[in-house]
Amino acid sequence: MATASISLIKEQTERVNPPRALWVPFELGRPLGSAEDPQFQRNVIRAALAMLETATEPTIEDYPVEAPDEAGPGQWACPLSIAPPDTPATATGRLLAEVSRLRPWSAETRRARGRTLFGASGAAIDQVDEVVRALTSIAETGDVTSMPAGDVAWSMPPPLLIRHLADDLRTLYHEAIAARPGPDAPNHDALNQWIFTETALGEVLLAVADRLTEDGSRRALLVRGLLIPEGHYRGGSAFASGAARIEPDRR
Amino acid sequence: MVRLGDLHPVEAEHLLARAANMPAMGVERWLQPPPVTEATVAIVSTAGLHRRNDERFRAGSIDYRLIPGDVDFADVVLSHISANFDRSAFQQDPNIMFPLDRLRELAESGEIGGVANWHYSFMGALPDPLLLEETGEEVGRLLAADGVDVALLVPV
Repeated sequence: MATASISLIKEQTERVNPPRALWVPFELGRPLGSAEDPQFQRNVIRAALAMLETATEPTIEDYPVEAPDEAGPGQWACPLSIAPPDTPATATGRLLAEVSRLRPWSAETRRARGRTLFGASGAAIDQVDEVVRALTSIAETGDVTSMPAGDVAWSMPPPLLIRHLADDLRTLYHEAIAARPGPDAPNHDALNQWIFTETALGEVLLAVADRLTEDGSRRALLVRGLLIPEGHYRGGSAFASGAARIEPDRR
Repeated sequence: MVRLGDLHPVEAEHLLARAANMPAMGVERWLQPPPVTEATVAIVSTAGLHRRNDERFRAGSIDYRLIPGDVDFADVVLSHISANFDRSAFQQDPNIMFPLDRLRELAESGEIGGVANWHYSFMGALPDPLLLEETGEEVGRLLAADGVDVALLVPV
């Protein structure tokens, strides 16, 4: 069986030197380039598969077509008003209020799409308040290893569960803003800038990151790096410096 | 558009360091598949994709998940653990990471021979690609045994 690969990080592909690789100039997370653009996506696949008939030795080709630009930080603003009129005093209150304002919009997007990524934590969509309480409880108590309280069948124990609690809430936030699309969709940087500088979710995630720092175990520090995108943890890397990021899990 | 120089410098440095530590795989035997118009194609992804009720990937998972060719995208979720790529495009259109609809269209138009009955997903972001040697070889054998001619390898 032959292989044709799409490559996002050319430097890594050059090192590995697979039989046929098509390097694409697209953002991480978008190996086919452009969402809801079947023609664009088919062309990427055609170019990769064409190498099966042209390459006779390990070959990396550059794909010459750029994906349409998305809006970066400063070019995109959240279309929804997320701060409640009377701001609750606690982080839990602020996050619950924020989620409550975004929830109907995210439901609209789920209805239109007929699918959601929500549920990585094990929570059902009607248990989103339990996801909020689990995350804020960790931020408040600093206990990053005990299973959160509540009726949810959590998908895995903390601290890695924290990563999925964050993902579920981010899914809800992404779905909410997708219900009110502007001329350009926000890119990864714009989304992160919004989450970490303008939302109660970002405030709580950074507080959880500090709790993981206080715990100090290798696993806690790894999860901190998996929780906070580069550049948003005190301006630098949320991974512990000098540590290998991920060890193999041989279960 | 993003190249390494467009990423946060810490992430770019990390990805370059990973490149420096990757083994050159080389090609032991050059395999020439049948013409693309006759080839059955499978997707092998490293985006940590799986069906909703499958066991979620963990940091460092070296096993794989099976995704049937007739899967409904409503049943496909992602438990990749990196915070350094965006999920919003996948939430909008799963084909941007897992282009199953596109393969179906190419098969329908006769540009490829067919779409495999089974596709495979791994957890990326491993410290060393050789950790996947055993399960990777197993997936290769399974694909070949199912008559798949071409694996389209899709990163995230």
